[in-house]
Amino acid sequence: MIDPFIQAALLMTTPILLAAIGGLVNRIGGLVNIGLESMMLAGALVAVEVSAATGSVIAALAAAALIGGLIGLSMSLVVTRLQANEIIVGLGFSVAVAGLVRFVLKSAYGVSGTFNPPGVAMLPRINIPFVSDIPVLGAILSGQDGLTWFAWAMVPATAFLLHRTRAGLRLRATGAAEATVRAVGLSPLSIRDASTVFAGAMAGLAGAHLSIGVVGLFNEGITGGRGFIALAAFYFGRSAPWRTALGALLFGLFDAAQIRLQGHGAPAELVQMLPYLIVIIVLTGLGLADRSRVSERALS
Amino acid sequence: MMDRARVAIRLGARKVTRRFGPVVANDQIDLAVAPGTIHAIVGGNGAGKSTLMRILQGVDQPDEGSVILDDAPVRLTGPADAFARGIGMVHQEFMLAPNLTLLENLILAREPVGRGGLIDWRVAQAEADRLAALAGVALDWRVKVADAPVHQRQILEILRLLYRGADVLILDEPTAVLAPAQVTELIALMRRLKAEGRTILFISHKLDEVMSVADVITVIRVGRVVATTTPAQTDKAQLAQLMVGEAVAMAKVAPYSRPPGAPLFSARGLVARDGRGLKRLGPIDLDIFAGEIVGIAGVAGNGQDELVASAAGLGAIAEGAISFGGRDFTRAPASRFRAAGISYLSADRSEEGLCLTASISDNFIAGREQESPFSRGGFLRLKMINAGAENALAKLSVRYGRLTDAVRSLSGGNQQRVAIARELERGPRLLVAAQPTRGVDIVGIAFIHEQIAAFRDRGGAVLLVSEELEEILTLSDRIVGLYGGQVTGQLLRSEASVEKVGRLMLGQKAA
Amino acid sequence: MGVAMLPALSRAAGVAAPFALAVVIGAIVLAATGHEPLGVYGLMASEAFGGERRIAATLTAATPLLLTGLAAAVAFRSGIFNVGAEGCFYLGGMVAAVLGFALGDWPSVLLIPVALVGAAIVGGLWLVGPGVLRARLGVDEVVTTLMLNFIAVDLTSWLVNGPLLARGSANSATAPIAVGAELPRLLPPTTLHLGFVISLALVALYGLWSRFTVAGFRSRIVGLNARFSRAVGIHVSSTFLRMMVLSGLIGGLAGGIHALGLVHRFVAGFSPGYGFTGIAIALLGRNSALGIILAAIVFGALSSAGATMQLFSDVPIEIVEIMQGAVMIFAVAKFGFGQARGARA
Repeated sequence: MIDPFIQAALLMTTPILLAAIGGLVNRIGGLVNIGLESMMLAGALVAVEVSAATGSVIAALAAAALIGGLIGLSMSLVVTRLQANEIIVGLGFSVAVAGLVRFVLKSAYGVSGTFNPPGVAMLPRINIPFVSDIPVLGAILSGQDGLTWFAWAMVPATAFLLHRTRAGLRLRATGAAEATVRAVGLSPLSIRDASTVFAGAMAGLAGAHLSIGVVGLFNEGITGGRGFIALAAFYFGRSAPWRTALGALLFGLFDAAQIRLQGHGAPAELVQMLPYLIVIIVLTGLGLADRSRVSERALS
Repeated sequence: MMDRARVAIRLGARKVTRRFGPVVANDQIDLAVAPGTIHAIVGGNGAGKSTLMRILQGVDQPDEGSVILDDAPVRLTGPADAFARGIGMVHQEFMLAPNLTLLENLILAREPVGRGGLIDWRVAQAEADRLAALAGVALDWRVKVADAPVHQRQILEILRLLYRGADVLILDEPTAVLAPAQVTELIALMRRLKAEGRTILFISHKLDEVMSVADVITVIRVGRVVATTTPAQTDKAQLAQLMVGEAVAMAKVAPYSRPPGAPLFSARGLVARDGRGLKRLGPIDLDIFAGEIVGIAGVAGNGQDELVASAAGLGAIAEGAISFGGRDFTRAPASRFRAAGISYLSADRSEEGLCLTASISDNFIAGREQESPFSRGGFLRLKMINAGAENALAKLSVRYGRLTDAVRSLSGGNQQRVAIARELERGPRLLVAAQPTRGVDIVGIAFIHEQIAAFRDRGGAVLLVSEELEEILTLSDRIVGLYGGQVTGQLLRSEASVEKVGRLMLGQKAA
Repeated sequence: MGVAMLPALSRAAGVAAPFALAVVIGAIVLAATGHEPLGVYGLMASEAFGGERRIAATLTAATPLLLTGLAAAVAFRSGIFNVGAEGCFYLGGMVAAVLGFALGDWPSVLLIPVALVGAAIVGGLWLVGPGVLRARLGVDEVVTTLMLNFIAVDLTSWLVNGPLLARGSANSATAPIAVGAELPRLLPPTTLHLGFVISLALVALYGLWSRFTVAGFRSRIVGLNARFSRAVGIHVSSTFLRMMVLSGLIGGLAGGIHALGLVHRFVAGFSPGYGFTGIAIALLGRNSALGIILAAIVFGALSSAGATMQLFSDVPIEIVEIMQGAVMIFAVAKFGFGQARGARA
C-alpha cells in the first residue's frame, strides 16, 4: 500500500527536482527563471520526437537538454543584453513556447493536443536485486530510472561544485554583487547567461522525464505547471540545494497524493495549490525575520 | 618595482580638464604622486575629487590633459587597464560580495586551482595569512562579508588589491565609515604599506588624518588645485581655509538679538543613527527660534546628515526627543512634519530634493497637491497649479522652457530654485536647508542666500547645514559646531570668525 | 524642431519595435512550416478588421484585455510590480457567475451591479495580502502575486468541480447565470456586449484620474521616485497598498464582466492568460489610457483573427500565441533608442 505511493511520489519529484536545481543555480547567478515551464515543455516534446526517431534514450535526453539550453540562452540574452525584466520575459516565453509547441504539433504532425508516435524508447527502470524485495527501502532505491538517480546525485554535486570550484564561486558572487564581479575583471552577464543555459538544460531533462520517463507520449498539458512548482521549490529552499530538494520532495508528495485523491473525489486541487501557498508563507516568515533583525540592530 | 622606485611620478595628472556641460569639474589639474609615498588629496564635496579619481582609474576620460604613469602620459581604457598597470582603488562603496566569506572575496577571479579543477583552499588560506601578517591585521577569513564589521571589509578590500598585485592604492575617503580606533588602525596599515614600498593616494576631508599620515597634500577646490604642500609646511587651520575658501567680507549683517519667546524647534538628548545602524549623532541639544538662521558648521560626516534627517522627519530617532511649536514630534511621520510647517531642502537634489523625470509643475506642487487652491474635492486644478508655479518660478527668476518640461532639462541652479520655490511657497515656519547651494553657480548662490535671508526676515526659522564655511558665515545668526556627532560650541554671528568657526569644526572648543 | 521630434520618434520606435519583432518571428515560424507569411498576415488583418462583424469580434476579444491591462497599469505606474491580475480575474469571474445565478430572480438593474461589485471586491481583497506584505515587510510582490494566481486557479477549479458544480451539467462548470444577469449585447448577432463599453469607459476614466486627480498625481510621483515622495510628505507605503488593492478590484471586475458578458457561467480554464496579456498591454501602452486601448485592440485582433483563421486556412491558431508571447518578451527589452536620455543636460 505504502510502496506504490512512495514510488509514485519519487517519480513525481524527479522533474520538479531537476528543474528546481536548474532554477536554483540560475537564481544564485542572479536570474529568477519564470520560463522553466516553457523549457520543460519543449524538452518533453523533443525527447519524444528523438526517442521515436532514433530509439535512443541517450540521444533523446541530449536533445531535450539541448533544446532547453537553447531556450534558456535566448531568454537569458534578452534579459542580460536587452535589460528586459526577467519576470515578463519568463512569462512571455511560457506563452510563446506553449504556442510554438502546439503549432509544431499541428503543422508538422497534424495532431492536436497529444503526440504519440510509435517506437518511443522509454527511460529504463533500474531494478536492484534483493533490495527491491525490502519494503519501503526497496520502493525508494529500486525501480527508479536513471534521471531520478541523476537528479538526486545533482543535489550534493551542486552544493559541492558551488563551493569548491572557480565557476561556483564566481556564480555566487555574480548573483549577489554584480558590480563586484565586474570590478575584479570578470563578465557577470556571461556568467549569468551560462547559469540560465544550465537551468534550461535541466528543465529540458525534467520535461524528458515526464514524457519518456513516465507516460511515453507527449501531451500539451504534460508539464501541468511543474515549472512553476520548481520555482516554488527553490524559493522554498532559499538557494540551498538540500532545502530545495526537500521542497521538491514535498511537492512531489503533494503531486502523488493529488493523483490518488482524484480517484476518490477528494479535493485534489486544494492539494495542488499547497506549494504556492507554502512559498507565500515562507516569504512572509523571511520578511518578518528581516524586520526584527533590522529593528534589533537599530536598538543595539 | 625596482625600476619604479627610480621614477619621479608613479601616478599623476598633467593639466587634466573635464567638463560636464557648463560645469568644469576638473580645471587644469596637476598631480604628482611619487613612488613609495602617501599622497593626500583634500577638498570639500563637489570639489572635483571624484571626477579626478574616475579619470585616474580610466573610468572617465579627460577632455584635455593626460594621466601620467611612471613619468609618461598614458591613455587608460578602463579600470582593468589601470589595474594591469598596478593601480587599484578602494571605493567608498565597497566592491565585495556580501554572501561570500572574506577568503572567497579575496581570491575571487584569481582563485588558486589545484587537483581536479577544484579551488585549492590551502593555498588560498596560506596566501591570506601571509597578507594579513604583512598588513599586521587579524581577520576571521571564514566569516561572510555581510557579517563582518565595516573596518574589516575595508582591510579586506586593501588586501585584495595587494593579492591581485597592485602597488598603487587609491583610497577614497577610507575613514568616512570608521570609528576613531579603527581610523588609527587603518593609518597604521597605510604606514606599513608605505614602508613596504607601496604608493598610496588618499582622498579625505578629515584634516587630522591627513596631517598625521600624508607625505604630500594636494588641496582641490571648485575643480582646481589651490595648493600642494606638506604637513611640515602647513597646519590644519590653513588647510581648512584652503578647502573652504576665503570668507568674503559681509556686506551687511543685521544686528542680531535672540528672538523672544520659546524656541520653535527643539531637540533634547537627540541621538540618531545612519543607514548602517551606526550611531552618528548625539546626544545633542539644539534650539531654533522663529526669525533666526542657525548654521551647523562641520566637516562632512560628523552627524549633519542625521541631524537633517531627524529635523525633516525622515530618519528614525534612536533616543531623545524633538518638539516643534511646543508639540512632541519624536515619533511623527514625515507627513506630519510637513503639515506642521517644516520644509526641507535636500542635499541630494537629484534623488530626494526633486523628481527629475517629472515635470516642473509636478515638482512644484508635489506634497501640496491636496492643498487649496491646487485641488478641490480631490481634483487637481491645473490652471491654478500652472498659475501658482509660473508665479513662484517667476519670483525666483527660474529660467525654463515650459512647465511640462522634465526638471532634468534644467541647469543645476535652476533645479534648485524649483525646489526652493516648492519649499518656501508653502509658507513654512521652519526650513531645513542642507547644502542649499551645492553645484550652483555664483550668481545662483547669492540669489539663494537672499531667499533664505528674506524667509528669516519674514519670521521663519532656518536650520542651515553646509560644508561651505563661507555660506555658514554669510547667512547664520548663530553658528553651532558639530564634530563627531557632538556640539562643540556655539558662536553668535557678531563674534564669529573663520578661525573660530574652523576650531569648532575641528572639534576644539571655542574658548 | 528636429530636437523636439527626437523623443517622440524614439518613443514611437520603442512601442513599434516589439510588434515588428513579433511579426518577424511569426513570419519565420510560418515560412519554416511551409506557410506564406504575407498571405497569412493579410488573412489575419481581414479576419480582425474586415467588416462590422469581424470588428465586433475583435472588440469582444479586446474587452477583458482592456481591464487586465488597466489593472496592471494602475499598479505599475505607482511602482508596484503586480502580476496577480490573472488570479483576480478567475475569482471575479467565479463570484459574478455565482451571484448571477444565485440571485437570478433579482431585477437586472440590481443584479448586474451587485454581481460586478462583488467580483471587484473579491479581486481587491485577494491582493490585500501581497499589498500589506510589500508595504509593511518589503516582501517582493512579484513572487507573491504570481503564486496567488496559481492558488486562485486551483481554488476556483476545486469549487467548480465540487461545491459549485452545476448539477447534471458537464464537468468543471457552474450553472449558467440567469438571463437577467447577462450583459446586454450591443450588436446582435455578434457577441459584443455592454462590458466593452464599461471597460472602455473605465480606461478613459483612468486616463482622467491619472491626470486630473490628487490620488492619480500621488501614485505617479510615488512610482517615479519613492524617496522624493516621502520627503515631500506623500505617504508611500499606504499608496502602495491602495494601488495594489485598486489593481485587484479592476482585475476582479474584468473577470466579472467576462462571466456576465460572454461566458455566462464560470468554467475551469476561465482565462487563457488574460491577466498576463494585460501585463504586456500595460507595458506596451506605457501605462497611458490611449496606449492601453490601442494595445488591447491589437491583442484582441490577434486572438479574434486566430480564432476564425483556422476555418479558412491550415494555419494553426497558435501562431497568435507565439506572436503574443514575442510581443511580451520584447515589450520590456531596451533596444538602444533614446539612450542619450538621462545624460546631463
